[in-house]
Amino acid sequence: MQPTSSMKEEFLKKWQMGIQICGPSIDNTSVSERKKVIKLSADVAMASLRKGTTCWSRALIQKTATEDNSLVRQMLSGIKAETLINKTLPKKTLCHRKIVRRSKKILMRRNARSASEEAAAKAKKLVKRKTQGLRSVVPGGEFMNNDVLLIQETLDYIVSLQTQVNVMRSIVDATEAGIER
Amino acid sequence: MDLTGGFGARSGGGGPCREATGLESLHIGDEFRQLVTTLPPENAGSFTALLELPPTQAVELLHFTDTSSSQPAVTGIGGDIAPPLHSFGTLTFPSNPVLMERAARFSVIATEQQNGNVSGETTTSSSANLDRVKTEPAETESSQRLTSDQAVENQSPCPSQNNRSGKRKEFEKKVKSSTKKNKSSEENEKLPYVHVRARRGQATDSHSLAERARREKINARMKLLQELVPGCDKIQGTALVLDEIINHVQSLQRQVEMLSMRLAAVNPRIDFNLDTILASENGSLMDGSFNGTAMQLAWPHQVIETEQSYHHRQLQPPPPQPQQWPFDGLNQPAWGREEDQDHGNDHNNLMAVSENLMAGSANLHPNQVKMEL
Repeated sequence: MQPTSSMKEEFLKKWQMGIQICGPSIDNTSVSERKKVIKLSADVAMASLRKGTTCWSRALIQKTATEDNSLVRQMLSGIKAETLINKTLPKKTLCHRKIVRRSKKILMRRNARSASEEAAAKAKKLVKRKTQGLRSVVPGGEFMNNDVLLIQETLDYIVSLQTQVNVMRSIVDATEAGIER
Repeated sequence: MDLTGGFGARSGGGGPCREATGLESLHIGDEFRQLVTTLPPENAGSFTALLELPPTQAVELLHFTDTSSSQPAVTGIGGDIAPPLHSFGTLTFPSNPVLMERAARFSVIATEQQNGNVSGETTTSSSANLDRVKTEPAETESSQRLTSDQAVENQSPCPSQNNRSGKRKEFEKKVKSSTKKNKSSEENEKLPYVHVRARRGQATDSHSLAERARREKINARMKLLQELVPGCDKIQGTALVLDEIINHVQSLQRQVEMLSMRLAAVNPRIDFNLDTILASENGSLMDGSFNGTAMQLAWPHQVIETEQSYHHRQLQPPPPQPQQWPFDGLNQPAWGREEDQDHGNDHNNLMAVSENLMAGSANLHPNQVKMEL
């Protein structure tokens, strides 16, 4: 699965639209402001590629909507913005950490393990921690209580990110080369 | 074939008392007997009728019911058992299906009145049978259990069935849930038992089967991820792979940050137009040397040209370019259309941009960037 050229084109179209929408409003602002707008519009463009079918895209749109609502709304005017933004994410599962830890301790005490079991438990713990890390990296990851779903979304997210990076890099290169001349 | 005999056997087939006689009359082959013991007792009654067929045909029919009866039994208790019987009846005696169905209904009702637990019993045994089919190599446990159950039933008369131990009921529940799950997974993927196959020594209860299926799913996805993330396919161990994936995602996110920063620094106004995009699009597809020439072509044009000729050039690229830009033919119509709409909206905007560029923002620019950085 590599980013296809059709995906790139689509992304470029969306991104250009977003930048044109918010172009006039920030004419003579600082670099950081401009950077923020560029990044926001790129993110929304990337997320809107999936048309709200994936968890991460919805979460990303929601996140950007809190920062710049009007931009997101204007950018998503083509596809129904309301449904995209207001689509509810799957519920976050909550459990009291202290209670869970205590019960685990009790369980550990009850069955003393051999060395190999100990190692396996350690590996399991490590994997769990890494999974948590992945959850925090992928947007909307904390809502995915299912490991299979998490990995699927990560796959999709990585492909989209690669598309984004490819297009942005080519554009940056082009503009820089143009300015040097 | 004696129909009446078949009916009699079937109407009482559910009851364990009749079943004993049904089992006694079987003296064919080892294989055959094994099949019978694992089949539900209701069907066991009708085997007496089957015996009069030639053995090969009988075995064929048995196999058929093996698969067909296990399906509807999944849905549950009581009246739902009628369909398998019906299908079986039409199979064996195609002469009078309506009568057969009625008889089957009667038999079900009778068994229900006789003993509420019997229907549950049939589901259990048939689903256990299903389990056996699915996990062929490790069938010993379930089939042994089943035969022992039947032995108990054969020895004990009907009333004693009511006070079963709680453990037994738990087992029943488990098996039922497993059949339900299996059915749903059957809808999802055609042959779940090909993927989820218990090897010798592996657990065969529903929970471990489901867990194993889930783990396999995760492993498959992880393989895909490993292929996607560069330099990740040689790493062993889930934790390390996850680590690498996290790193990759973070690096991509950082790259986006960095690129948007660069773009913000480069462009005085964030507004890139068609030429840069087209050039970059082609530049990304080709090598860097061409990128430069494309830019050389694109930029002076843009600076000098007025709005109209600019528009014209979009729709009809100059002659030398097409063989250099193979994607022009694909890109041009879409972009042209989009630009048309955009032009309708912000004519002035684009004009302003070109003016701005003409004014020599490129010369002004580095200073500005230095100031801001």
